[in-house]
Amino acid sequence: MIGRLARGALRVVTPLVSILGLWYAAIWLSGLPAFVIPRPERVFQTLVAERTFITIHLFETLKAAALGFVLANVVGIGLAALFVALPAGRHVVMPVAITLRNVPYVALVTVLVLAFGDTLGSKVTIVVLAGFFPVLVNTYRGLLAADRVVLDRMRILNASAAETFLHVRLPYALPYIVSAQEITGSGSIIVAIAAEWMISSSGLGYVINRAMQQYRGDQVYAVALLAALLSFCIYTVVHVLGRRLDWQAPPEAAERA
Amino acid sequence: MRPDPLSIRGVSRRFGGTLALEAVDLEVAAAEFVALVGPSGCGKTTLLRIVADLEQPSTGVVRVGADSPAVARRRRLFGLVSQRPAVLPWKRAVDDVRFTQRVAGRVGFPARDLLGEFGLAGHEDKRPHQLSGGMVQRVNVASAIAHDPAVLLMDEPFSALDEMKREELGEWFGRTLEARPKTVLFVTHHIDEAVMLADRVLVFSAAPGRVLEIVAVPAPRPRGPEFRRNSLFVETTAHIRSLLFGRAATAAAR
Repeated sequence: MIGRLARGALRVVTPLVSILGLWYAAIWLSGLPAFVIPRPERVFQTLVAERTFITIHLFETLKAAALGFVLANVVGIGLAALFVALPAGRHVVMPVAITLRNVPYVALVTVLVLAFGDTLGSKVTIVVLAGFFPVLVNTYRGLLAADRVVLDRMRILNASAAETFLHVRLPYALPYIVSAQEITGSGSIIVAIAAEWMISSSGLGYVINRAMQQYRGDQVYAVALLAALLSFCIYTVVHVLGRRLDWQAPPEAAERA
Repeated sequence: MRPDPLSIRGVSRRFGGTLALEAVDLEVAAAEFVALVGPSGCGKTTLLRIVADLEQPSTGVVRVGADSPAVARRRRLFGLVSQRPAVLPWKRAVDDVRFTQRVAGRVGFPARDLLGEFGLAGHEDKRPHQLSGGMVQRVNVASAIAHDPAVLLMDEPFSALDEMKREELGEWFGRTLEARPKTVLFVTHHIDEAVMLADRVLVFSAAPGRVLEIVAVPAPRPRGPEFRRNSLFVETTAHIRSLLFGRAATAAAR
């Protein structure tokens, strides 16, 4: 019991020590001024002192990221389901999806701002465009991973397409869908911040932009730290949830995770 | 459900330019057990899948009772047992059996009773990865007949198991048919398994699959392990072996 606790504490302390150690080392070795690389305690002071201001913008970012994340899943899973039901749909939609994915986001953002201005809609659209592709590709692969003998069983029982999809294809695809969330989930935060940095007057991205213009390195670092922590939390939640949902993972492994 | 007779007339199947199955004729009586043996690639599985309406014949006609395979499938007259178990990896045994009944819209046998009779009492709430290979295959058979189909189509159901397990499950399966008679088509490449279980054995030649002979096994079913020492068993398996491996093999064996 005590050994377990100690090991748990060590798991938290070790990365903290190594991050802070590297941080101080960078300050001393680089000799850069404090507005470029502030000391950790100064960053934490900023986080505490400006918590109201930062929290307001944090929620702006979360709103865009969460909405974009959900919609990316709706689009990704929806399209994958469509491709399985209508293989022809894949040949029509896939080139468009690949093109959209490969257009530089800067160009997309510019067009979206011209069309919709600095709105939540623009931010969400960017998050969706950046996030739907991994969901689509993984889900499609998962839906096709259904065991052929089980599909034969469904056909022998004269199951409807909806029954086969819901009770066989979707559960087989679940581990694939979950692994896509590890990419899209944490990516949503990063993309939302990038979009705000470029176009918005709210959210953590905007705070970074403003802080840069005012030579407020401490604020940039505070926001960066917060964003990284957030992405990490989302990744962990998705990972743990995924282990619980994944029928492939042996139960003992799911409990350990 | 009452077992239905099967009628296969002039069924052949062509894949591209190659003939996989050549003009098969077979009449199976209601509740009769017919085994299909032959070398790999002789079209036994293809014939089974044509009867099941999972594939279409190039020529010929199949009738299940009075129905075409497509109509029989829509009436859920078939139960299918595959070599690789078609159980759902995330379902407990009892839920897997009930899943068949829910999809088929027909509760043939109460799920827990069926599993109990299949020697799975106490294991009903386990998932496939918690069960041994033989147990999973019993669940697979239970799920295949849970909706009480008229015809059972079995594609090497016990081949993935080791020889002792295979013999044990074969004898067990022969006994279960006593309580609930079914018309059975049983694909196997084990000659002894075919002779132990079947009323008649359809012997196929290699590509193209052609019926060499239909061998009757005139002994009452179910047959216990002592049947393996019966002269009828010994002679019938030897005869089928000579059909499959030709004169040379039989001469060498002497």
